[in-house]
Amino acid sequence: MNENISATNRIKLFLVDDDAIYLKLLELEFLQHADFDIETFATGELCLKNMDHKPDVVILDYYLDGIDKTAMNGIETLDKIKKLDNNIPVIMLSQQDKIDIAISCMHHGAFDYVVKSETAFINLQKIITRTFKYKKLKKQLNWYMERM
Amino acid sequence: MAKILKTDKEELKIANQKLAFQDSEKKKRAAELAVANIELAFQNDEKDKRAAELVIANIELAFQNDEKDKRAAELTIVSDDLVIQTERKERQKIANKELKAINQRAKLSSDYTLSLIEASLDPLVTINASGKITDMNEATVNITGLPRETLRGTDFLDYFTEPQKAKEVYLKVFADGFVTNSPLTLKHNTGKLTAVLFNGSVYKDDKGKVVGVVIVARDVTEQKRIAAELSEAIVIAEMATSLAEEAKNKAEKAKIIAETAVKAKQQFLSNMSHEIRTPMNAIIGFTKVLLKSEMTPKQKEYLMAIKTSGDALIVLINDILDLAKVDSGKMVFEQIPFKLSSSLSAMIHLFEPKILEKNLELIKKYDQNIPEIILGDPVRLHQIILNLLSNAVKFTPVGKIIVSVKLHKQDDEKVILKFTVSDTGIGIRKSKISSIFENFQQASSGTSRIFGGTGLGLAIVKHLVESQGGSITVKSKINNGSTFSFLLPFKKTELKIEENINKLELDEDLKEIKVLVVEDVILNQLLMRTLLDDFGFEYDVASNGKIAIEKMTQKDDSGISPTYDIILMDLQMPEMNGFEATEYIRNTLKSNIPIVALTADVTTVDLTKCKSVGMNDYIAKPVDEKLLYSKIVGIIKKRNIANKFIETEVAPTTKVTDLTYLNTRTKSNKMLMMQMISLYLEQTPPLINAMLTGLMKKDWETLYSAVHKLIPSLSIMGISADFENMAKKIQEYASNQQIADGIPEMVHQLEKVCKQSCVELTEQYETMQKQ
Repeated sequence: MNENISATNRIKLFLVDDDAIYLKLLELEFLQHADFDIETFATGELCLKNMDHKPDVVILDYYLDGIDKTAMNGIETLDKIKKLDNNIPVIMLSQQDKIDIAISCMHHGAFDYVVKSETAFINLQKIITRTFKYKKLKKQLNWYMERM
Repeated sequence: MAKILKTDKEELKIANQKLAFQDSEKKKRAAELAVANIELAFQNDEKDKRAAELVIANIELAFQNDEKDKRAAELTIVSDDLVIQTERKERQKIANKELKAINQRAKLSSDYTLSLIEASLDPLVTINASGKITDMNEATVNITGLPRETLRGTDFLDYFTEPQKAKEVYLKVFADGFVTNSPLTLKHNTGKLTAVLFNGSVYKDDKGKVVGVVIVARDVTEQKRIAAELSEAIVIAEMATSLAEEAKNKAEKAKIIAETAVKAKQQFLSNMSHEIRTPMNAIIGFTKVLLKSEMTPKQKEYLMAIKTSGDALIVLINDILDLAKVDSGKMVFEQIPFKLSSSLSAMIHLFEPKILEKNLELIKKYDQNIPEIILGDPVRLHQIILNLLSNAVKFTPVGKIIVSVKLHKQDDEKVILKFTVSDTGIGIRKSKISSIFENFQQASSGTSRIFGGTGLGLAIVKHLVESQGGSITVKSKINNGSTFSFLLPFKKTELKIEENINKLELDEDLKEIKVLVVEDVILNQLLMRTLLDDFGFEYDVASNGKIAIEKMTQKDDSGISPTYDIILMDLQMPEMNGFEATEYIRNTLKSNIPIVALTADVTTVDLTKCKSVGMNDYIAKPVDEKLLYSKIVGIIKKRNIANKFIETEVAPTTKVTDLTYLNTRTKSNKMLMMQMISLYLEQTPPLINAMLTGLMKKDWETLYSAVHKLIPSLSIMGISADFENMAKKIQEYASNQQIADGIPEMVHQLEKVCKQSCVELTEQYETMQKQ
């Protein structure tokens, strides 16, 4: 009962990474630091299949087609998510600290771009907080627009 | 009888008379009868006439009856009709009533609608086909400032600032049937303008003919104001965002600068230590050699001064390095079994000359309840006590120093020991107590001038104690003395220690040792020769890795290669450095001969590299004679023992994995750790294979992807950052699609370390499972 109540208030997080270890670690970090409702996926396809679970934020690995060349890559997944619901903030994760990758992610509508490092988790947490601030701003804007 | 006759006569007479009378009467009556007959005939006639009349009347009557019947029938029908009509009338009455009610309601609702329309703040106007206003509401009156009478019948276009545009809109309504949200401006007769959104639609009569237009002009002045405010707010928000963005960028830049600075600092410290240690090695080493030669007491005194200064300098460098290590979190603590009591005695023994010299009393108190052998880092413990003790000796001109160890707490797994070093020295002022553990602090700025020292000692002590999970406290009274106590946890252990490892006297059994010294600096070669001569060991010297390998593989006349028991390997050499040489020896010569690195740079980076290429141990330069001896002897003895039991076992390699990070991340949650480890064990082997295939087939993409995916898990499992860097380098080369020197080697090293990590983690996993 209690769980149900809190479940509705909890932030739903999708973590997508083909690196099972990193994925697990990230999940642990999130579970330990805040009460998130987390779903993890090893591929972009799985993530998309479950988009009807309505995540609040998606954290998506950039390089999803590393070993399985036929897998959907991070950008493709990002595009599809954005097509489904443009309002879901997607934070891209990458191991590479490359400006062109970061720019390309932003162009495809990513909310932010984070390099996998020891501080990645803290960055992610901050960014998630920021997505909610941004959402709130947007909501305010919509409210005004409606009044118009 | 006469009488009867008489009477008869009389009676006859009377009868005659009567007859006469009756005759007359009869005659009269006959007359009367005749009359009556006539009368009768007449009356009969009359009667006949009457009868005829009656017949006629009868006929008439019959006809009339017939008519009556017909009428009656008609009447019945009429009556039926009447009933129906009455019913209809009733119904009509009800219907009428309903109609009335509806009318009433309609009127009400029309009133209501009208009032709504009137109450609307949006001007509502109806216009006929010729563009004249036919009706309007109160809002229209307000917004134009004109009374209804004036408005009605006028051209509605007159009330807009742009009649042409208004007309277009108005025409559009007729053309399309409606128009929505056309922005126009209405004009008040006083000149006040009102921005409106113009909405309209045509209305039609019963035949569907357009008779006019209904127009709603919504006053959007307020909305426009809000919109303006909002867009202003958006601009401000955007500005704020860009400011924040800028600040973020600045912060990131600052962070990068800070990180670079930290890296630079470490690099500097590492370089400095290397640069200073190398010459110091020669200075101290040769001083020691000289001290053994014949010389005058004066000369000996000078040499001692050189040696003491050199030692002090080395201590300082070590201190600085330790602090840098602690600062960067690279301080690693060992978990090895050791005997606390003898370790403590040896330490105290070191101070005996000083104590005697200053005429102090040194008391050792040792709690016999402490387990004989405990698990911990004796070197660091040594360092902590050494620092405290040397402070105590340094700052105590007279009196005594007490060193005590007590069993503070214990459970099944660990003991917590309380170490106390107290003196009767100069003490520390209260105001200074809080800062004595800070870097470069001494109780007073004057202290260092009188007593020397860098002020790093206590800072290091605090770091060392706290990073091992202990705590340190100090109590002091000025001119009365100070007491430093610290609590430190140690694990209990069943392990025994290998004896003799630290025995300083030369072991007679181990004379037959052949050492290969690989060292390029002539001075250092000379020093090593001297030392090894002293130990009574045989040796060969090679001035770089290449020569060393040649020496190992060359055969003498009888075809036998020289067999060395141990190699002392310098790291930085021309032609082939220590790492390359070791790799070659391990991988190509397939030899597991013990290799001890001689390094001037003892930052962890180099040490992990030493271990990763397969070196067994290291000795920091300047080489300490006793340490060198004990290391050589220790390694060879261990190897002999190992060889006795398991011939095939490879020299013990150091662990490549370290679960500290995982432990902190999971908050020591065993289940989670096991989950992570099993994920690693599942994911890593296929990646190693992919990496090797990629290298073999020159499939750069596969190589890149495999290594890429491998990288994050390395640091998670505490595998040295060297390998991560190595992996990154491989990745970089792979992305450039070119093979560079050393890449295959790096891939193989990565493979090796990953495989070993899998072995270690499997073991770890199994142990955890059993727990």
